[in-house]
Amino acid sequence: MILSERIKRLREQSLNAVEKLSPERAQLITQFYKSDEARGLSAAVLRAKAFEYLLRNKKLYIGDVELIVGERGPAPKETPTYPEISLHSLDDLDLLDRREKVSFKVDAEVRKIYESEIIPYWQGKSNRDRIMNLMTPEWKNAYKAGVFTEFQEQRAMGHTVLGYKMYRTGFLAIKEEIEESRSKLDWMRDEEAFAKNEELTAMSIACDAIIMYANRYADKLQSMAGSEKDPARKKELEKMAEVCRRVPANAPATVHEMLQHYWFIHLGVITELNPWDSFNPGRLDQHLYQVYSEEKKKGTLPDEELYDLLGCFWVKFNNHPAPPKMGVTASESSTYTDFCLINLGGVKPDGTDAVNEMTYILLDVIREMRILQPSSMVQISKKNPDLFIHKALDIIKTGFGQPSCFNTEAIIQELLRQGKSIVDARNGGASGCVETGAFGTEAYWLTGYFNLPKVLELTLSNGFDKLTNTQVGLKTGFASDYTGFDDLMNAFKAQLQYLIDIKIRGNNVIMKTFANWLPAPFLSLLVEDCISNGKDYNCGGARYNTTYIQGVGLGSITDMLTSIRYNIYDNKKLTWKELLNATERDFKGFEQVQHDLIYETPRYGNDDDYADHHAVSVFEMYYDAVNGKPDSRGGIHRINMLPTTCHVYFGSVIGATADGRNAFKPLSEGISPSQGADSQGPTAVIRSASKIDHLRTGGTLLNQKFSPQFFEDEDSYNCLTSLIRSYFAMDGHHIQFNVVSAETLRDAQKHPELHRDLIVRVAGYSDYFNDLGEDLQNEIILRTEHEGA
Amino acid sequence: MKGLIFSIKRYSVHDGPGIRVTFFMKGCPLSCWWCHNPEGISPSQETVEKVQKAGGKEFRTLENVGRYITPADVLAVLEKEKIFIAESGGGVTFSGGEPLTQPEFLIEALKRCKAGGYHTAVDTSGYSDTVTLGKIIPFTDLFLFDLKHLVSEQHLKYTGVSNELPVGNLHFIIESGKEVWLRIPVIPGINDDHGHLEMLKDFISGVGNGRLKKINLLPYHRIGTSKYKRFGLPYRMQNTASPTPARMKELKAYFEETGIKVKIGG
Repeated sequence: MILSERIKRLREQSLNAVEKLSPERAQLITQFYKSDEARGLSAAVLRAKAFEYLLRNKKLYIGDVELIVGERGPAPKETPTYPEISLHSLDDLDLLDRREKVSFKVDAEVRKIYESEIIPYWQGKSNRDRIMNLMTPEWKNAYKAGVFTEFQEQRAMGHTVLGYKMYRTGFLAIKEEIEESRSKLDWMRDEEAFAKNEELTAMSIACDAIIMYANRYADKLQSMAGSEKDPARKKELEKMAEVCRRVPANAPATVHEMLQHYWFIHLGVITELNPWDSFNPGRLDQHLYQVYSEEKKKGTLPDEELYDLLGCFWVKFNNHPAPPKMGVTASESSTYTDFCLINLGGVKPDGTDAVNEMTYILLDVIREMRILQPSSMVQISKKNPDLFIHKALDIIKTGFGQPSCFNTEAIIQELLRQGKSIVDARNGGASGCVETGAFGTEAYWLTGYFNLPKVLELTLSNGFDKLTNTQVGLKTGFASDYTGFDDLMNAFKAQLQYLIDIKIRGNNVIMKTFANWLPAPFLSLLVEDCISNGKDYNCGGARYNTTYIQGVGLGSITDMLTSIRYNIYDNKKLTWKELLNATERDFKGFEQVQHDLIYETPRYGNDDDYADHHAVSVFEMYYDAVNGKPDSRGGIHRINMLPTTCHVYFGSVIGATADGRNAFKPLSEGISPSQGADSQGPTAVIRSASKIDHLRTGGTLLNQKFSPQFFEDEDSYNCLTSLIRSYFAMDGHHIQFNVVSAETLRDAQKHPELHRDLIVRVAGYSDYFNDLGEDLQNEIILRTEHEGA
Repeated sequence: MKGLIFSIKRYSVHDGPGIRVTFFMKGCPLSCWWCHNPEGISPSQETVEKVQKAGGKEFRTLENVGRYITPADVLAVLEKEKIFIAESGGGVTFSGGEPLTQPEFLIEALKRCKAGGYHTAVDTSGYSDTVTLGKIIPFTDLFLFDLKHLVSEQHLKYTGVSNELPVGNLHFIIESGKEVWLRIPVIPGINDDHGHLEMLKDFISGVGNGRLKKINLLPYHRIGTSKYKRFGLPYRMQNTASPTPARMKELKAYFEETGIKVKIGG
């Protein structure tokens, strides 16, 4: 793919656009809630009418060279807010405006609108206020202490992906489906018939609304075509108008229609509410392949046009930063990325190799576009060819962080274990960071990160949190009270169960706030069985419902427990008093102790069972505490192990620890070893990471650092391919190659203790970076700068 | 029976085909000026000072270089790496130092590895008595043979030994029918002059009857410099720079004229 002038321009525009807060949606939703139209309606119909009001009144945007139309805000990167979910205060707005990272410009006009219209109406009435009023003191204490985070306090439930069905139908047909479901309501025996009827009415309104919105675009495009002087653009505008007239009302029949169809759906979802992970096209190569092949056969889609359409589509995602966050959520998920993860490869519904021509075309697009959003991943099945992996490595080696690699067979087994049908499982994939889901049929909600090392810290201090000065956990005793390692582990287990139960109780209450006040009739159209069940996506209407709590800090807690066992109990190198003295003073004056904890103690990530078996113990305890507990919408609680950037926030609420980590420093991320703890190379890390049972999770995250020189030739590619395939043969869920930058190498020069795992390859030999002389290190940095570019 | 090693490297991807485990054995009769593994030269255990940082302070600890392992230990490591080895068509490599300086251990370890179904490689300078070499050949699938200089006096000057024995052994291995990859370090000013390159090319063309499968051109690198300091050894190549990538490409093309596959690096 060679980027056309059109795509270069759109890409530049998107990269240069400044993130800005748009008051449009907040104003419209406030006007609607204040209006007579909003009175006396059931929650479902209220939300459907609000959706309709937004789409009828929001400003249309048509960029001067774009082929795919529609923006969530009035222009690219102008980002709306959702005051009915969470209300930004004036202080929040000021902070957003001036913070250095992930900022959003808030001009004086917007501030005024907030002050005079938005805040007065929603103050104390947002769902966030509702949630905080409903939480118990125990929940609040644990939340404040940083034991867990809460996803739903400022964003709606999302975490779902468009499936096969919606790419092959239109909203006119969906309306018929709604009426069919309505005709089957059992008014004699079903006590929920009334609620279902209301929900179906809401869904029908939402169908009309999205068609109306597309028609508004069609009208505008048509009128623009009328006055366009450039004949080429005039033709494009006419074509675009025609496309918007056809989709999403009807099933898309061309690549252009399919991309525009999806994009309207995407905009619908992120306008209705602000769901986590925005929304996601899912298995895009699979969906596009059929229409692409047909057009190719007919000769109606020249390559340049195809790449232009895909380029326009890609830019759309980048135009949409995650809605501005506040408070703890802003610090734990500090990014513009909205976690829309395009899946490539994997297997078809019949279980055969799904890699096709479109897979390679899209990999090409990812490589050439090289923009933050959308994110991308490759689903690697044992049935996929090596070439597929090699093409992915071509992009990975540039240090772009995409695509990440997933194990199709593991995803399928995880889904089957949870009771999905084999076809639904094969149609699934991963979304967000690494979360397993059945695309188009499952509502799989992430509810918050859970700070495993914090639970250990509480276990050592009788459940008392020194930082917030509150009793957060149970009173199970102090460190020195434990009579042995097993005794400590039993206390940890009790604390863990207690704190998980607090989180689950909170989840079950919070879910009900969405079910009762914030149904999502538009999103419900997209996820199968909501229509036939007459139930909203937010009320358990989907075919499958899963609720996740994401465990964080596995590597860190494993090192902490290993250190306690090794130094205090098994080898008596330290007493509890000595260890606590050192950690309480953040190792000041106890550098020798810290040195021994870091360098002379076994650690996770080196294929050493002495350390690794603690990872397995913690994993099993965490699994037992969460897995199988019902949620309040007919689904089940399950675990996954991923941190996004929460390991930084979670580290910031924990003092110095037994693994030699300084106070408030980040924890390990995902199931990766602590920074610098592994020194035996990638196969040892992979062996350690496969000791936990990935198949009983809904996703794990393993990050592996490599220098670009490991990607230098075909032999290297083959070895990396084997490395991935081996991890996946051991049921590993996901691996991501972080190709180190020169910046990382410079940091390693300054802080060698944090980069003990860093292996670099130098002209035929490789060695630990730390072991090299400074002159050589400098030389490698120069080379990495050169090659990584 | 025990062997003295100074390092075990997992995910070793440049010492033979696939993903391998390389055992670096201690002791080498050569003392090449450019040696990047000087810790492999002495045949006995050594203690060196290691500097590690914690809390902004430097800690000096004494580290033992060299530890004894048994052939069973070798198998235990391979067992852990089995899945990677099988998936990649990899195996085990004995390198060094000079692995042939510990023949009893080497033969036993190779035997056991072969019996375990692993592909075996030996990375050698060829400086060994031919009888010993003959004993390991049946259990070795691949030789990585380091050819340093074809002029004996030069070989003696820069490696401490003359080259008759290694060159003879190279012929001996090739005659045995085993696969050989020739590894030629490219050392600026020592073995990369035109005259010597021509000799090498002629030699390669004449040797092996097609049994030579691959040539690895290993560019000289200063990677070992800091190790020399740690081990208190003199470094005699202070003023030598690495060959440029362009130069290596040129040499690759030059040796490809022999019709044998050439790779830069291992």
